[in-house]
Amino acid sequence: MTDINEKLAEILEVDTVNDSDVFTQFDEWDSLTSLSIIAMVDANYNTNISAEQLLSFTTVGDLKNYLNSKKS
Amino acid sequence: MNLKFKNKKITGILTVLPSKEVSFEDEMENYNFSKEQSAKLKKIMGYGSHRIVDENVCCSDLAVAGINYLIERGHLKKEEIDAIVMVTQTPDYIMPVTSILIQGKLDLKKDMYCVDVNQGCAGYLVGLHQAFMFLEQETVNKVVLVNADILTRKVSKKDRNSYPLVGDGASITIVEKDTTSPEIFSNIKVDGTNWDALMIPAGGMRLPISPETGVFQEDDKGNIRSKDNLVMKGDAVFNFVQTEVPPMINDLVTYAGVEMDTIDYFMFHQPNRFMLQKLADKMKVSYDRMPNNVVEHFGNASGVTIPTDITFNLGQKLCDNEYMVCLAGFGVGLTWSSMLIKMGKLDFCEMINY
Repeated sequence: MTDINEKLAEILEVDTVNDSDVFTQFDEWDSLTSLSIIAMVDANYNTNISAEQLLSFTTVGDLKNYLNSKKS
Repeated sequence: MNLKFKNKKITGILTVLPSKEVSFEDEMENYNFSKEQSAKLKKIMGYGSHRIVDENVCCSDLAVAGINYLIERGHLKKEEIDAIVMVTQTPDYIMPVTSILIQGKLDLKKDMYCVDVNQGCAGYLVGLHQAFMFLEQETVNKVVLVNADILTRKVSKKDRNSYPLVGDGASITIVEKDTTSPEIFSNIKVDGTNWDALMIPAGGMRLPISPETGVFQEDDKGNIRSKDNLVMKGDAVFNFVQTEVPPMINDLVTYAGVEMDTIDYFMFHQPNRFMLQKLADKMKVSYDRMPNNVVEHFGNASGVTIPTDITFNLGQKLCDNEYMVCLAGFGVGLTWSSMLIKMGKLDFCEMINY
């Protein structure tokens, strides 16, 4: 699941994204980036997350942990 | 629920769009967002310009103009119209129904059936189902299906979540009996537990319009709207579409006993380009077989997007040739429906401005 950092970096328009980064701290964070992340998660991990759920994941790592738990 | 129809044919499609065109750029300053944020939204969602009716124009005006156009060109005779199915969420009045207003304005025969259906994004499919069912009657040979909505009136101009994507318009589809037509396969599902994913809170009997319902409030994302306005949970609708539509199409092709690659075109309801691209990716259908350009050119006029898609992207081709077409609509209700239909050799397939 390393490439999710790359995909998130692309959506959030930064060079790199670390697991400890907080979503709402990104300059590009808004409802559109939120929807773009929801769409990316749906397309790549076949998992639906709501905008509310995404907000409950403070950091990139929190989202990854959730996706890992859905996979197993 | 699976549905099957025999001996029915679409014989012509006309789209009537308001001539007034407004670009997303011109409206950017209405929104509580930076120019950069709006530019990004435009790029990702595929916003260009949308068509908007003048203040005094209602759905029946667009419909009457369209039907008159067909009569003048000899595509339709008044006395042949045995039924009008009018699909709209923005009727001229709460009562009477708009289909009967159309009958009156056009001075059509009294010996006919008129019915309004309140449906949105799946409204083209639901309208076709109703038209097909009327044609089971011995006395009904020709049904005029009207789809019309003027939702820009009900969406707040300061709601960046919804206003950039809506448009106004109408379409006229002629549906007739035809004993040589192959079977038409369709399906439909509803989920009323998610009734509030896409709705207008005030204006019905549950919450009548009042000075209080007209008060504008800002939501947590910076969109400003009142309870008189349409409100949409964008993420919920997105997830619903991506979850429900691909399996619905799988079920449809299984029911019809055909392979996906025998379908020439996927003419789907278009909420925005983004959603259609994601859907095409998921269904492994190339973008040229599932056009997604209606919203950037005209806006999303609910049940009118499918006929707009057909007249704009296929147009004359549907008069000259025949294609296997998969239609699908999905949205308010929630409602989602699809149809596999052989379309072609139409008498007309065009769009006009109002």
